[in-house]
Amino acid sequence: MKKLSLLGLGIGFLAGFTVMAEPVMAQSTLEQIKQRGHLRCQIGTPAPGFYSLDANGQWQGSDVSMCRAVATAIFGDPSKVEFQSVTSAVRFTALANGESDMLSRTATWTAFRDTQLGLKFAGINFYDGQGFLVPKSLGLKSALELKGATVCVLTGTTTELNMTDYSRTNNLDLKPVVFEDSNVRDETYRNGGCDAVTNDKSGLASTRSKFANANDHVILPETISKEPLGPVTRNGDDQWFQIVRWSLFAMIAAEEYGVTSANVDQMLAKPPSPEVARFLGVEGELNKGLGLEKNWAYNIIKKVGNYGEVYEKYMGEGPGAIGIPRAGSQNALWTKGGLMYAPPFR
Amino acid sequence: MANLDAADTTFRPKPNLPPPPNTVGAVGWMRKNLFSSVLNTLLTLGAMWLILSVAYTLFDWGVLKAVWVAENRRECLDRSPDGACWAGVIHWFNTFMYGRYPYAEQWRPNLGLVILILWMLPCWLPRVTGKIGIALSAVIIFPFLAGYLFAGGEKGLILQILVSAGIVTFITIWLHVLSCLLTGRSLPVHILGITGFTDKDDRLHKYPLIGAFGLALIVVLILQSGWEPPEVGTNLWGGLFLTLVISGVGITTALPSGVLLALGRRSRMPIIRVSCIAFIELFRSVPLITILFMAVTMMPLFLPETVTLNRLVQVIIAVCLFAAAYMAEIVRGGLQAIPKGQYEAAQSMGLNYWKMMALVVMPQALKLMIPNIVGNFIGLFKDTTLVSIIGLYDLLLMLKAVSQNPQWNGLYLEPFMFGTFVFFIFCFAMSTYSQHLERTLGSGQVRR
Repeated sequence: MKKLSLLGLGIGFLAGFTVMAEPVMAQSTLEQIKQRGHLRCQIGTPAPGFYSLDANGQWQGSDVSMCRAVATAIFGDPSKVEFQSVTSAVRFTALANGESDMLSRTATWTAFRDTQLGLKFAGINFYDGQGFLVPKSLGLKSALELKGATVCVLTGTTTELNMTDYSRTNNLDLKPVVFEDSNVRDETYRNGGCDAVTNDKSGLASTRSKFANANDHVILPETISKEPLGPVTRNGDDQWFQIVRWSLFAMIAAEEYGVTSANVDQMLAKPPSPEVARFLGVEGELNKGLGLEKNWAYNIIKKVGNYGEVYEKYMGEGPGAIGIPRAGSQNALWTKGGLMYAPPFR
Repeated sequence: MANLDAADTTFRPKPNLPPPPNTVGAVGWMRKNLFSSVLNTLLTLGAMWLILSVAYTLFDWGVLKAVWVAENRRECLDRSPDGACWAGVIHWFNTFMYGRYPYAEQWRPNLGLVILILWMLPCWLPRVTGKIGIALSAVIIFPFLAGYLFAGGEKGLILQILVSAGIVTFITIWLHVLSCLLTGRSLPVHILGITGFTDKDDRLHKYPLIGAFGLALIVVLILQSGWEPPEVGTNLWGGLFLTLVISGVGITTALPSGVLLALGRRSRMPIIRVSCIAFIELFRSVPLITILFMAVTMMPLFLPETVTLNRLVQVIIAVCLFAAAYMAEIVRGGLQAIPKGQYEAAQSMGLNYWKMMALVVMPQALKLMIPNIVGNFIGLFKDTTLVSIIGLYDLLLMLKAVSQNPQWNGLYLEPFMFGTFVFFIFCFAMSTYSQHLERTLGSGQVRR
């Protein structure tokens, strides 16, 4: 009898579970987020400039601001985000299985990822590329002079692969010294364990700023890979994809229009141009297709800031930022010779 | 012969000479142990040089050249590039302790810890009865009270009752302890005296006790129903607090579930035995990190989209299952060391299975296994740092986060030194306590 009842219990459990797992009516991502009351935005483990924790336990950085911008577009409140800090090993799984609504972390937009992982890259908010950091005392002017050098590199990343490719293409015979941890890599480099460090240039900038004498080290001009970074959403919900994409465009466009968090209220009261009026929701109904409030873009600029403001705060050369100059780089606005470009708001 | 003086013939040994001064005391010890031969002398000198130079380097870096007050790492580097930057550790101390838990609410984990200590304290006080009950209530009821205290937010009816039960139990325990210490009689005896049940049949004794508890429960339920601390999502829990929550729950559930699994594995009932073996072998043959990944990343794939799982709960469940499987094998080892005669003796006393296990076999088995059990606990405590890989901000990940903050960019050695210190304190305390237990319970003795 005892065995029988146990068996019955097991069957009961199974049956209950199957009923529970019955598929429910699919809700759009936006509805889910509104119902939940906050956005679930995936970021990575701390990386200076992009996403890092401060001593009060708050997330900050340029990719974090992207999450906050989307939350602001939906709720008008940049604090309605749950940040999910996930290692890169499971980043796309955590997006695909519905744990995260979007991903705003240093994920490079590649053909494979865009077409074969069920993901959509919503845009580019940072143009990165791999480079080399060397001591100034070596007197190098170009990465092509690195012949036979030992290079510190993180293992298991595309960084290592890019470096070997570059070495083979240019017959440089670079010898990689691999590390698991960026702190150990940088310490080894500082103590002369290798001649150069290779990483994305944003990472090199923060490595450089770690050292007691940052000016003793230079980043070589060559960029050996293209690393366009931007927010990502899941396939299958175009409206949600467009919300993320246009939140990014709104930040870039605002900078182009000269709308900042400081002057956005004046702009709202007295729009300098019809495009700004449409942008801020004074005229037209650009919000309709997105399913957002009329003042969604206003909220983003007011509470998070435009692209330039965010860049200066976290990536630029001010205090608390990691010190990557923007002028003349690909991350400058298209009007200033860069690649940051937003389609028109009309 | 006769004229010889008796006093002169008596053999009087001279008093022993003191040992040569270079064989006793510190000098003697050193000659014997450190400088007994040329080779040993060389080794000693070499080791001393090594120890001193390491100690001096550490002292020089960590104390002499250290910076204690600074706003950011740049300031540290400017002042003393070769010294430790303890200013960073001090600046981040709160975050190490509580992770992202809001500053204004950090009194809640503190209060929870104080309650736990007060709850368990009576177990070590003399003249207190019912210690097993107190310990059990700390394991069974305290987690609900603490869980709500930490998480806050709205509470449904069941949680209301559980929280109230926690508060009532806590008050009851301390009334009981005070009554034991002051009057020498336990709280139930007093309650029976007041209600006039002392002289009545023993079987009736439970009614006034249950009544008193129920009454207190209702009063507390009404009093605390308005108490609703703001919600702090588990995604904000972190630092040492989170490490302690995960390992605490893991450690407390590991022992009882390990005992049950071990008994199940030795059971004569095939279904129970096979399922216990399957469970133990499955979880023991898979690394913890795999179980964690499974629980956190794969589980949502099998569940409908609307079901949202709490990451921390998933992790805690995974850790508990893992710890239970290991504990089961330790307990089984202990069970196998108990001679068959003990089982037979217990059975001949007329004890049933559970009484035999609880009163005769388990106390001996667990006593034998104390070093292994505590070793396992220490291992589990350190293993919880693996949750950092799946993005829970435990102590280790908080320590790592410092070096990635633009203000403190690259500061990683000092936080890790601090973390080493914290882990050492906890593990050493556990280990010392287990040795103390072994001594008091005499389980270190050789078995005959």
